[in-house]
Amino acid sequence: MKQNNFLTALGIEAATFGVCLFVDFFLNMKVLTPMIFILGVFLIARYTEGYFYGIAASIASVLLVNYAFTFPYFAFDFAPTVSVLSATCMMTVTIITSTMTTQIKRQSQMKAEGQKEKMRANLLRAISHDLRTPLTSIRGACSVLLDDGASLSDEQRQTLLTEMRENSDWLVRMVENLLTVTRISGDGGVRINKTPVVLEELTESAVSKFNRQHPEHHVRVEIPEEFILIPMDAILIEQVILNLLENAVQHAKGMTELCFYAHTTETEAIFEVEDDGAGISEDRLPNLFSGYLGSEKTPADNRKHNMGIGLSVCSTIIHAHDGTISAENRPEGGARFRFSLPLEEKKDEQ
Amino acid sequence: MSNNKYRILVVEDEHSINSLIEAILTANGYQAILAETGAQAQIMAASFQPDLILLDLGLPDMDGQELIRLIRNELSIPVIVVSARADEQDKVNALDLGASDYVTKPFGAAELLARIRANLRDCMRNREKGMPEEMFHAGELRIDFGKRRVTLFEQEIPFTQTEFNILALLARHAGKVLTHETIIKTIWGGSDPGNVKKLQVNMANIRKKLGEKPGATRYIFTEIGVGYRMLEEEN
Repeated sequence: MKQNNFLTALGIEAATFGVCLFVDFFLNMKVLTPMIFILGVFLIARYTEGYFYGIAASIASVLLVNYAFTFPYFAFDFAPTVSVLSATCMMTVTIITSTMTTQIKRQSQMKAEGQKEKMRANLLRAISHDLRTPLTSIRGACSVLLDDGASLSDEQRQTLLTEMRENSDWLVRMVENLLTVTRISGDGGVRINKTPVVLEELTESAVSKFNRQHPEHHVRVEIPEEFILIPMDAILIEQVILNLLENAVQHAKGMTELCFYAHTTETEAIFEVEDDGAGISEDRLPNLFSGYLGSEKTPADNRKHNMGIGLSVCSTIIHAHDGTISAENRPEGGARFRFSLPLEEKKDEQ
Repeated sequence: MSNNKYRILVVEDEHSINSLIEAILTANGYQAILAETGAQAQIMAASFQPDLILLDLGLPDMDGQELIRLIRNELSIPVIVVSARADEQDKVNALDLGASDYVTKPFGAAELLARIRANLRDCMRNREKGMPEEMFHAGELRIDFGKRRVTLFEQEIPFTQTEFNILALLARHAGKVLTHETIIKTIWGGSDPGNVKKLQVNMANIRKKLGEKPGATRYIFTEIGVGYRMLEEEN
């Protein structure tokens, strides 16, 4: 950054000097010289940080004007009044511009922070909403079992216990998603650990975890036969796949088939999760991955948890891998989620 | 199989998890001893001579990894690490330090019991070194260690030397996770990082020969980021 400031200042000052030489000796308009230098100093103060470069440039400009553009040419001749006056003018321009620049920067920073704060508040609201529903259900079921357990039929008890387990499973996955978000977007930003992962092993691990959680849904898997290594943080990408499959289970109404595909091109690996359910409503598509939309509109319905957080976690993870993620409705019905991962590590990451 | 004689030391500082594990263990015929701190665990391990230790890595008074090292110096019993998913690296470190297996929180009773069973059996087998098993048998898969023969649905499947060695290693520790590093050290000696790819390629070939399909795996399970686990043997 310091280097940049220095180069900017030097560049502008040199350009100013060049323009003045041209104007002076080819067009012979000496009147313009001080104006051009003031413009130069103004630009330096605007495009560098702090006061230092602006002030340094003012002094340099005074010296340059004195040396090159006033009689005697290409020699210093300090007539005190002129030098001090022109120096004062330039300094004033510099100081006022620098002050204004700094203020503008601070203001936009505050605005960005305010926005971040707002996003955080939205996230917290969405989380609390999402956590409350299953907790209420678990808490209620526990009380019933403890207080009136004896008067319930075996079947009723079984139903309550099964629901308790489903709801706590859901809470566990939710908490894991939240932990991932803090791990990735926490202090200092991205901290992912890429290692070469075998596509087949990733698929095996993710799909069999999903099968354990949802034995009632079958996933059709199609991946290339070849041995393919993809650099990634396997735990996180596995979570993306699980979230997308889970999302289909939660939201694709009337789904009869759930598919997981993967293939590779020259430069990237492409993964797709497809269902033949109800699809994604058009008004939700644009904000699907930015999350949390609709959490206030959605009624606190026990069966329909908002997966806004799950999808935004997917997007966070994929972007941290320099990949892309998108969602669309399939022409033949149902939704398709697609994400890609680069096959080559970017050089600056190594 | 009667488990009555097995004594299990549970090292865990959170009371609710402690009583949950104790309930699961006693309901299944194990004797549970509880320790809430690392120091307590060391004393109890020495005085009660447990058959297996269930260890939570996050202890109040000492680093779980340190405790594994201390226990390993004194006793040669299996240590199963209980950890949260977020501590992926801790888990691998613990396994490389001498822990024998892990369960990820939150776990189901069936999963916990399967891990305990597999690791107790593995440990017993190691003690009776005189007579190593001749056959491995799980599902439709049979491995004859002496003749170096593998059959699936009665059909013999040809494996290369290395592939067979890996398969046999996994089978001898069936039900237990083996880390990449453990397998590489046993099969190739040394731990050259380039060997990970060699292992991955060999595993891909083994899976292909066994006809394993992702999502419908029958015999060899991938523990992503950690290693591999073979289906538990039938009795």
